[in-house]
Order: sequence, then C-alpha cells, then structure tokens
Amino acid sequence: MSSITAVASGSKISVNLRRYPYWLAGAVFIALFSINVCLQPRFIEWGSIQSNLTTYLPLIILTTGQTYVVLGGSVDLSIGAIVSLVNVLGVRSIEYLGGSPTAILEGIGLSLAVGLGAGFLNGIAVGLLRLQPIVAMFATSIVFSGLALYVMPQAGGTLPDSYFQTYSGSILWLPVPLLILIVTLVATTLVSKSRFYTYLLATGGNGQAAFQTGLPIKTIRVQSHIIAGLAAAVASLCILGETGSGDPLLGPAFTLSTVSGVVLGGTALSGGFGSITGSVLGAATLGLINSLIFFSKLPYYLQPLVQGVILLAALAGGVFVSRKQ
Amino acid sequence: MTRFDTVEPILTARGVWKHFAGVQALENVELELWPGEVHVLMGSNGSGKSTLCRVIAGAVAPDRGELCLKGKAMEFADPAAARSAGIAVVYQETSLVGTLTVAENILLGGEPTRGGVFIDEQARRRQVSELIEAFGRSANMRAGIDAFIDDLAIDQRQLVEIMKVIAQRPEVIIFDEATASLDREEVSALFDLIRALRAQGKAIILISHRMEEVFGIGDRITVLRNGKTVASTLLAKTTRDEIIAHMVGASAHHQSGRRARPGNDQVVLRATNLRTTRVDNISLELHSGEILGLGGLQGQGQSDLLLSLFGAEAKAARSIELSGSLAKIHSPTDAIRYGLAYISGDRARAGAFGIRSIFENLVISSLVRRCQHFVRRRSAEASLRPILETLKVKFASVDQQIQSLSGGNQQKVLVSRWLATKPRILLLDDPTKGIDIPAKEDLYALLSELCSDGASVILYSSEDAELLANADRILVFNSGHVVKELKGEEMTEFNLYSAALAHA
Repeated sequence: MSSITAVASGSKISVNLRRYPYWLAGAVFIALFSINVCLQPRFIEWGSIQSNLTTYLPLIILTTGQTYVVLGGSVDLSIGAIVSLVNVLGVRSIEYLGGSPTAILEGIGLSLAVGLGAGFLNGIAVGLLRLQPIVAMFATSIVFSGLALYVMPQAGGTLPDSYFQTYSGSILWLPVPLLILIVTLVATTLVSKSRFYTYLLATGGNGQAAFQTGLPIKTIRVQSHIIAGLAAAVASLCILGETGSGDPLLGPAFTLSTVSGVVLGGTALSGGFGSITGSVLGAATLGLINSLIFFSKLPYYLQPLVQGVILLAALAGGVFVSRKQ
Repeated sequence: MTRFDTVEPILTARGVWKHFAGVQALENVELELWPGEVHVLMGSNGSGKSTLCRVIAGAVAPDRGELCLKGKAMEFADPAAARSAGIAVVYQETSLVGTLTVAENILLGGEPTRGGVFIDEQARRRQVSELIEAFGRSANMRAGIDAFIDDLAIDQRQLVEIMKVIAQRPEVIIFDEATASLDREEVSALFDLIRALRAQGKAIILISHRMEEVFGIGDRITVLRNGKTVASTLLAKTTRDEIIAHMVGASAHHQSGRRARPGNDQVVLRATNLRTTRVDNISLELHSGEILGLGGLQGQGQSDLLLSLFGAEAKAARSIELSGSLAKIHSPTDAIRYGLAYISGDRARAGAFGIRSIFENLVISSLVRRCQHFVRRRSAEASLRPILETLKVKFASVDQQIQSLSGGNQQKVLVSRWLATKPRILLLDDPTKGIDIPAKEDLYALLSELCSDGASVILYSSEDAELLANADRILVFNSGHVVKELKGEEMTEFNLYSAALAHA
C-alpha cells in the first residue's frame, strides 16, 4: 500500500488470529476431518458427504445467524425456540392451505415472516428496551416454545411429498442442501462487505465509542437479531425437508450448539471480534465430533461423555492458543 | 503575530455563564479564537476549562451567553451538531473500537461506499493513507492502516483518534489534555502535527498543565480562575510566573495558618523504590502522628501510590517497612491486617456497597481485620454506634440502605468503617470529593485527633487548599515522580503550583 509499516506487537500467532479469526477453527476442522477419514474411509464418498451435509446444514445456518448477534454484543438464546415455532407453523400452514405447490410457497413465506418477527421482537427487547440479552431471550424463548406447543401440542402433521422430494433432489445438477449452503455463504460474504457489518463490529466491540461516533447502534442491534430470526426460519425449513413432519420440541437442543459453534469458530462472546467463516467451520466441527463418536463404536452410554470431553478440549485449545501472546 | 489583526475570529464566546448543582462553573467567560492559532487554556482543577470546552463542543448547554462561529450565533443541541458545524474534540479517552483496524476506525461512520450499502475498500484505504501521509507521518505515526487498535501502544491510539477527528475536516479542534498520557518525544511529535494543522489555518484550543509545552507551541493563552476569565494575552508577552500568579490569584504567597503538630521522628512506614505502571521509583517515609500530603495535578500517580501501599495494585514493585520491620502486603486483606486503611472519595467505585445497609457497610472491614466469619450483631453494633455518633452521621436506622444517605454522610459511614478497624495508618485518596463543607471540617478535625493519638495519615486531595491547611509535609507529584517536597514555610499555594506545573 504505502511505506507505512505495521507495528509488530504480540506474537505471530496472535496477529494471525486477529486477521484470520477462523484460523484455529480451520485447523481443528481439518484434524477432525482426517481422523474421521481414517476411521471411516467411506466418509469422503460423495453420498456420505451429501448425507452429512443434509444432517448438519441446519446447525450451520443457525450458527451463522447466531454469529451476527454475538458480533453485535448480544446472544440469541431463543434461536432454538424460533426453530420449533417455525417448524410447527410451517407444517400447519401448508396443511391448512391445501398442500399445493402454491401453498408450499405461501407456507415458506409465512415461516420466514415468523422468523423475522421473532428476531425483531428479540431485537426490540435488547436494542431498544436494553434488557439483558440472556434474560430477555430466556423469556422470549419460553414464549416461542409455548406458542409452538399451542399450535401443535404433539409431534405430528405431514407435509406433501413434493416438499421433501424437492429438498432431497437437485437443481442445476446441484443437490438442494448444497445449493442452500452456497446461497448462505454468498449472502454472508456480501453482508461482510457492507457498511452494516463494520457498524455491527463497532457496536459489539465498543458500544460507547460507536455511539459517540454517531452510529445508530440500536438499529444495528435490532438488525442483527432479525438476521438470527431469519436464519432460524431457514434452518427450520431445512429440518422439515428431512423429517417431513412437525415437532414442537425439537428446537431448543440447537441453542447451545450454536453458541459453542460460534465460540469454536473463534468469535469472542464479548462481541466485536470474529468471523462467519469461523462459525461455519465451528458448526461443521461440531458435526464432525458427532460423526466421530458415531463411528467409534463406543457403547451408547459413553458417547455423551466422550463427546463432551472432545468439545471441551477443542474449546480449551482455542482459548489457550489465543491467550498465549 | 500580525495575522490576528487581518482576519476575523472564527469562534467567539461572550459572557458565558453555567451553573451546576451548587457550583458556578462559568461566570461571564470570554474567549476569542482565531484561525491559524494555537490557543492555550489554563487554570487550576475546577477552574472551568473543561466546562468551557464542553460548551463549545455542544456537550453542555450554557445558561447564558453567546457563541459565534464565523460571525454567526450558534446553539448546539448535541456534540453531533457541533461536529457538523466544524468543531471537533480530541478527548483524553479515545473513542476507538479496539477490534477494528486503523483504517476502519478513522473513517467509521463516514465510509466511502458503492451504492450506499457496500464499503468501497480501495477508496477507504486510499483516503486513510492520504490522511496519514499529510498529518500522521510528521507526528511519528508508525501504525499501519491494517493494524488492529488493540495491538497499538497508547500514543499510536491517540494519533489514530486525532486522524479520526481530522478526517471530519473540522475548522476548530480542541485538544483536551491530549498530552497527559504521552512522553516527551511523543508530545513533540504531536506538536509537529498541531503545527501542520495550524499552518492549514485550523484554529486549535489546547488544554495543558505543562508550562514547557504551553510556551513551546502556544500563540495565545487564556487563564481561568474559579470560572472567570482572568487573563487573555499573547504568550510572547507574558512569563511563567505571571501565568501562575493569574491562576492562583492574590492570596498566592500567603502561608496557610495551620498550627504545628508536635513533632515526632519515629518512622511508622518506609516505602522504598515503589514502582507501578504509573508511579516511577518513589521512596517515602511517614512519621508517627504525621499527615503527609500528596499534591500536584490530578492523576499524576498519587492514587496509584496509595493503592499500591494498600496492596491493591497488581503490578507493583516495592518494599514496605512498617515500624521498622518488613511487611508482606500482597492484597488489601494483608494491608488491613497490618493496620492500614484506605478511604477513597470515589465512593461508588471503591467504597460503598450501595444497596446494603449502613450496618453491613460498617462491619465489613472489621471482620477482615479480626479474621471473623460470623457477626455478633449486638456486640458489633454496640461498638460501632459510638463511632457514628462522634462523626455526627445523620441516619434513621442502621438498617437503611447506605445509598439513601447524602454523599457526606455516606463518606462518614465509610470513615467509621475504617476507624472501627483501629488503623495505625490511614491512606486517604481524595476523601472529600463531593461532600459539603461542614462534613469536610468534621473529617479533618477527626484526622487531627487521630494523629494526636498516634495514628498517621497519607492524604491526597485534589483541592490544594485542603492540603495546605491540613498536611504537615507535601510531596508534589508530576508524571509519576515526586518533584518536590514542601515543608514549613515553603508550603504556599504559589510554591505548590509552581512545583506541580514543572516538567518532571
């Protein structure tokens, strides 16, 4: 650029971690991927990759949405509950509208609107009313879960075959889940080049400074929650493509997985620092840990324990490396 | 200096008044600022310099008075309005986002875009590079435009902050003690930058306490005392002593009328080679029954010294002897058990547990001192009540929340808390901040009494009059060093100021 030289402070590792926050997540991902391939050579076959992608796509999308919220200095603990709500509303509305292709499109539209509305509500609570994110979204998650149970008290309902046939099919020789992943990645890349993204990082990194600089920090916080709500809706629609029926209780298990995916990806929970790329890798890493456990032939009662220990090691490793400055 | 005769002033303040709760902060203040000049504002702590700057920057609305920018009367609703009119402030505490890069910070909120949505990265880099070429290089700005703020040293951050301000193309730039955190070399680099801005015809207001700097860069000076303009003149036509005389007023050479305390040479505390991040190699001795004053401008290391004696500074290197034997003080708990007490005027941060009761606030330190784990309410209350009564604390019940009391009464409760530990040495960190005059008098009467009973005190006060009236000796601080020790007849306001303003 110019003759101005960068000040070399901190170690090489810490400088790289700053510039490429996903550096470590990438390393962990590659390591776990290699182990998976060693244990299960068929892991890299096209069919296996496709089925793993289908299984973990919802988590990847959710984690991506969560990342925007975390970068802005908040955290969405209701993201799983939004998944449940959209899930049952999607099934019920498509059923109600008659199951035609138009009905499916209308149902998808409604689902996205519900996700957006839920995110907006969260954004109002945090951005405008200035409630504590954890408490506010503990409350809204109960509301969303309650609504989901009200709409569909028990798992059930069926979607027309065309819905999940489309999801498991291909468009332009590309499997639909892969297409959705590509669209998500393109969208996040565009967002990261926008002014909004820089303002989001500024708001999460130093809200006071962002405010003094004249940035609309309330609007930015609300927008980040809307993105998370939309991501939850898209993820929920993907889940429907796999299961074909509604379940009011399936969402909440995702919530903390998205947070650990975000952290594994190198994003700071305190806000302002991190990357979407890291989160995609972090969510994929969570998937790899799952499949590693699955192929390890461990007795089922040991699986959660081993899974927890691996996750803890991955998180601690990240913290250890980034603190060693 | 003929340029002042040929152009109009860019900014004038006429008859500005501002009253804050109980204090007349500004009284009929006048200021004229010309394009292409560096105008120094000087005055002692609380003389109104900062308030005046805040009025000009739109952060405070004046009660009365007129502010004209380029001949037009202005009324700023908020800092953003002043900024868009061309007035910018470089604060001591920066408004940078640590997790963003230099380039991102400098143009934050004013990024060049494509279609209003996407940032034009190339244009941003170009604009920032040009800005740094024009101003940053002369000021020794080494930070690359892609460096993260968190990775930069303080002086580099300060420069980025200044670049951020310059990027908004202001006509008037206020530097509010911008040199306080910089060393000599960094200050001279910053001054090169200020000269470059002056050469471009910008008007600059500089608040500084360092005489050497003031004469090094200033064109004119306005001195404020107690919220009034007492002098405004060309720096070439005045002297250092004249300025100090303006700052302290007529009473400057009068010695304080404090009665001498009976002398005692027994050393109760000896600290050697005390070093923290803000204090450089200080050694001191405290005698039995003595009140040792710490003077100087605010934030020169006085509080850091007290905190490190109390074991509350993590990165402190020191050796402390109490009554001749080495004391191992690694935490406030250790300090309390050695008989030290620390009372801060910053009650909310370092003293009062706001929502807890008076009783709980009182008993807490005694528990630590005696290594007690349970409270015997009745006996504790019986021993604490007399202390509250001596200090004339006004309260309804010891069970009421401490935050329901006035500032002065809260402070008295905190003093009582520490008196209950029967301390041998009291460390007082600006203890009278925000409390009323009768409460101050009660506190100093009590200190005097404690000292005649053999306790010793180290007192830092931001009010020089208080120091002069109560201390037996004063160590004057500047930039983490003790630059002068004043005793006996030397303890005058003039000497105190003169020492405080000297460069370390």
